[in-house]
Amino acid sequence: MTDAAKTFVETYERERGSLPASGLVWLSARRDAAMKEFAASGLPHRRLEDWRYTDLARALEKASVVSAPLHKGDVALPDATAINVFGAVDRHVVVFVNGVMQTKISDLPSGVTVVSLSDALSADWAKTLVETRVSDAQAANVTALNLALMRGGLALHLAKGVKLDKPLHLIHLAGDDGASHRRNLVRLDDGAEAVIYESYVSAGATNYFDDVVTNVSLGAEARLTHIKVQDEAAGAVHLATLTAALAAKSYFSSFTMTLGSALSRNQTFVRFDGEGAQAHVNGATALRGRQHGDQFCIVDHAVPSCTSATLYRTVLDDASTGVFQGKVIVRPYAQKTDGRQMSNALLLSRDAAMNAKPELEIYADDVQCAHGSTIGELNREALFYLRSRGIDEQSARQLLISAFLDEAFETVPDDAAREGLRALAADWFRLALKEDA
Amino acid sequence: MVAVRETVETVDKVAGEKYKYGFTTDIESERAPIGLSEDTIRYISAKKEEPQWMLDWRLEAYRRWLTMEEPAWAKVEYPPIDFQSAYYYSAPKQKAKLDSLDQVDPKLLETYKKLGIPLLEQQMLAGVAVDAVFDSVSVVTTFKEKLREVGVIFCPFSEAVREHPELVQKYLGTVVPTTDNYYATLNSAVFSDGSFVYIPPGVRCPMELSTYFRINEAQTGQFERTLIIADKGSYVSYLEGCTAPQRDENQLHAAVVELIAHDDAEIKYSTVQNWFPGDENGKGGIYNFVTKRGDCRGDRSKISWTQVETGSAVTWKYPSCILRGDDSRGEFYSIAISNHYQQVDSGTKMIHLGKNTSSRIISKGIAAGKSSNTYRGLVSVHKKAEGVRNFTQCDSLLIGDQSSAHTVPYIEAKNPTAILEHEATTSKISEDQLFYCMQRGVPAEEAVALIVNGFCRDVLQQLPMEFAVEAQKLVAISLEGSVG
Repeated sequence: MTDAAKTFVETYERERGSLPASGLVWLSARRDAAMKEFAASGLPHRRLEDWRYTDLARALEKASVVSAPLHKGDVALPDATAINVFGAVDRHVVVFVNGVMQTKISDLPSGVTVVSLSDALSADWAKTLVETRVSDAQAANVTALNLALMRGGLALHLAKGVKLDKPLHLIHLAGDDGASHRRNLVRLDDGAEAVIYESYVSAGATNYFDDVVTNVSLGAEARLTHIKVQDEAAGAVHLATLTAALAAKSYFSSFTMTLGSALSRNQTFVRFDGEGAQAHVNGATALRGRQHGDQFCIVDHAVPSCTSATLYRTVLDDASTGVFQGKVIVRPYAQKTDGRQMSNALLLSRDAAMNAKPELEIYADDVQCAHGSTIGELNREALFYLRSRGIDEQSARQLLISAFLDEAFETVPDDAAREGLRALAADWFRLALKEDA
Repeated sequence: MVAVRETVETVDKVAGEKYKYGFTTDIESERAPIGLSEDTIRYISAKKEEPQWMLDWRLEAYRRWLTMEEPAWAKVEYPPIDFQSAYYYSAPKQKAKLDSLDQVDPKLLETYKKLGIPLLEQQMLAGVAVDAVFDSVSVVTTFKEKLREVGVIFCPFSEAVREHPELVQKYLGTVVPTTDNYYATLNSAVFSDGSFVYIPPGVRCPMELSTYFRINEAQTGQFERTLIIADKGSYVSYLEGCTAPQRDENQLHAAVVELIAHDDAEIKYSTVQNWFPGDENGKGGIYNFVTKRGDCRGDRSKISWTQVETGSAVTWKYPSCILRGDDSRGEFYSIAISNHYQQVDSGTKMIHLGKNTSSRIISKGIAAGKSSNTYRGLVSVHKKAEGVRNFTQCDSLLIGDQSSAHTVPYIEAKNPTAILEHEATTSKISEDQLFYCMQRGVPAEEAVALIVNGFCRDVLQQLPMEFAVEAQKLVAISLEGSVG
C-alpha cells in the first residue's frame, strides 16, 4: 500500500466517530465496508486498464493527503475568472471552503431543499443516492474512498415539477492544504428542472487533494444542466466523479472546463434507466506546463431508445498530457440507441502528448453508434492563410485555437455561461502569450 | 419485419450447409509423445535434424514460457487450456525424401485436392507457388526451381534451418522475440514447421507465394512459424490459407509470423483464415492465438496485411507493423466475420518510430448469431516520429440481436506533427436496403450477402485476384445461417 493510501486508512480510524451523521447505523456500516474495500485494493495505478494513462497513486505521493482542517476566519471570494465567468447571470451563490458550506456568505434559494450533506443524510432520497454503485469496478474503488471519508458537500432535492428559479452556483474554495472528500447529491423528482454551475478554485491552498463525488438522479422528464469550471492551484490533484441515473425522457447535460491542477481526472458515469432519455457529456481542456488532464466517461445504455452524445476538445501546450477514455455500452435489448462519442486534441508543442481510447461495447443490433478521435497540430495551411491576410502569427494561432474550443462550447445549452467559457479560454490564451513573450 | 423473419428462416436452411472442410484424412502419421516437456522439444528438434543453436533457442523459449502467464485481457472466454493433453508434433509418415509430387502420398494429394489447392504441377497455369503444411510438417513446395532461378528462396522452415542457417539465425526472433508473449513464446519452443521466404535485393517475386495450413490429427496443436525477408527494393505477395477437420474438441493453433522489409521493399501478406469454427452450439473449433508482426526496417519500405477471418472458435490476433524506417508505410485491411458462438478479438498495432511514416487501418467486423466481435488496435506515435499520418476506420455490422460488437482503439501521440484520425461506426443491415433488394426480386439471403460484400468492399479489393473470389464466397457462406 502506498503512503497516501495508508494515510487515508489511518485518517478513517481516527475520524470515524466524528464524521457527519456518524449516528446513522446504515451509513456507518457503509463507510466501514467502503474503507475495507479501499484498503484491500489501494489507490488506482497504471496497471489497471481504466487508469492506463493516469497514475493517481503516484500523483498523491506528492500531494498533501491528511484531511484539510476546518478553515478558520472569514473567507473573501477570490477575484478568479473561473468564478466570474458566471457573474453576468442572475444566480444563487453557495460557497464551500474545504468542502464545508458557508451559509453566511451564501444565498440559498427558498422553498426547496438545499442543505449541506450532513443535514441531508438522514433523508431516504439521500440514502438512495449515496448507495449508488458505480458500474465500473475499477472506478468504484475511488468512490469507496470518498464514501468512507466524505464530509462536506451539497444536497439538492427538487420535488415533482419544481423548477429552480435561478441557476445555482456552487463555489468550491480550497482554503487550506490537505485532502477534502466531499459529496454532492442532486435529486430531481419527475419534471423538476435545475441549472447548476460549479467553480473549483484555490483560496490560499497550494498543495491539496480534492476528491469530489456527485451523484445525480433524475426523475421522469426532469432536466438538469451542469456546467463546471475547474481551475485549481498548480499543485493540486483534482479527482471528480459524477454518476447520473436517468429516468424516462429526462435530460442531462454536463460540461466540464478543465484548466487547473497538476493532475486532474473527471470521471462521468451515465446510466439510462428509462426510455427516451438524453445525455450530453461534453468538455474542453486546456493545459500547459507539466499538467495532466484525464477525461473518463462511460455511458451505459441499459434501456432502449436513449440518446447520448459526448464531445471533448483538448488543447495541450508545453509538456502537458491529455487523456480521453470513453466507452459507450449498449446492453442487450437496448435497441434504437443513438450513441456518439468524439475526442479531438490539438498538440501545440513538441513535448505535449495525447492518449485516446474511445471504446464501443455493443450487444444490440438496431443501434446507431459512432465514435471518432483525432489528434494533430494547428493546420499550417489555415495559419498561412490568416497570415497572408495580414494577421500576425499569435493572433492567428489564437483565432484557430478559439475556433477549435468553440465547437465544444457550442454544446453548452446556456447562452450566458457559453460566453463566460469563451472569455475563460481567451484568458488562458493571453497567459500563454505573456509567457511566450 | 416479415422480411427479417423470412431471411432468418431461409438462412437457417442454408445453415445446414456445414463446414465443408470438416473431413479428416486417414493417413499414417507419427507423433511426439503427448504433452509438453523439454523432451518433447528435443524430440521435435531431433526429428527436424536441427543444429544445436536451434535447439538451444527453443529450450530457452520453453524455460521462459514456464514463467509466463496466459494473457487475460482480450474480450474472449474459453475454458483453461490443458497444455499437457495435446500432441506437439504430428507428421504424415514419409518413407524417403521426395523428389517430385508423384512420390507424395496420394491420400495427401487428395486432401489438398478437396481443399482446392493447386498443388499439382499441371496446374501451373494457376501460377501460384504453394508450400503445404499438414499438421506439423511442410509436405510439399511447388515451383521451387523456377523461383530459384531468380534467387528467391521459398522452402519449408525446417529446410531453411538446415540449408540457410545464416539467414535464419540473422532474422529469426528479431521481430517477435522469444519473450514477446505467452503464445509466441510457446511457439518459439515447439514450432514444427512453416514457410521461409527470402527475396534478394531488387527482385520482384515473379509469382504469388502461398502456404496452406491444415490441421488433420486429433488432439494436436499446430505451431507454425513463418519468416519472410524482403531485401532492398524487392517485392513479394504472400497468401496464407487454413482449414481443419470438424472435431468436438478444441485445438490450439499458435503461429508466429515475422516479416522484415528492408529499404524500398514491399511485402503484401494476405490471409484467408477458415479454421473450423465449432458447430452451431459452440462445440469444438480451433483456438487461433496468433502473433503476426512486420518490421519496416528500411526507409520507404511497406508492409500490408490483409485478412479475411471467418473461422476459429476463438481468435486472438493482431497483425502489426513497426514503422522503423523513414517514409515507411503500414497497412491493415481486415474482415472479421463471426457467427454462432465464435469469439473474435482482432486488430492491429501501428508503431510509428520513423519520420514521415504513414499507416492505414480499415477493419470491418461482422457479428452474427451469438458471437462476439472485438476490434482492438493501437496507433502509437513516438516522440521522434515527425510527420506521421494515420487513418483508421473500423466499422461493425450486427446481424441478429444476440451478437455483440466492440471497438477498443488506443491512440497515443507524443509528437505534435502527427495527424491521427480514427472513426468507428456500429449499425445493423439497413431494413431499407434489404427491402430494396427484395423488392427487385433478389432473395433475402442473397441480398444480405450482397450488402455485406458491399460493406467489406474496401478490404476485399486489397486481396489478390485468386483470393478475392474465394473470399467473397466465404463471406456469403459464413453468414448464411445467421441473418436476421
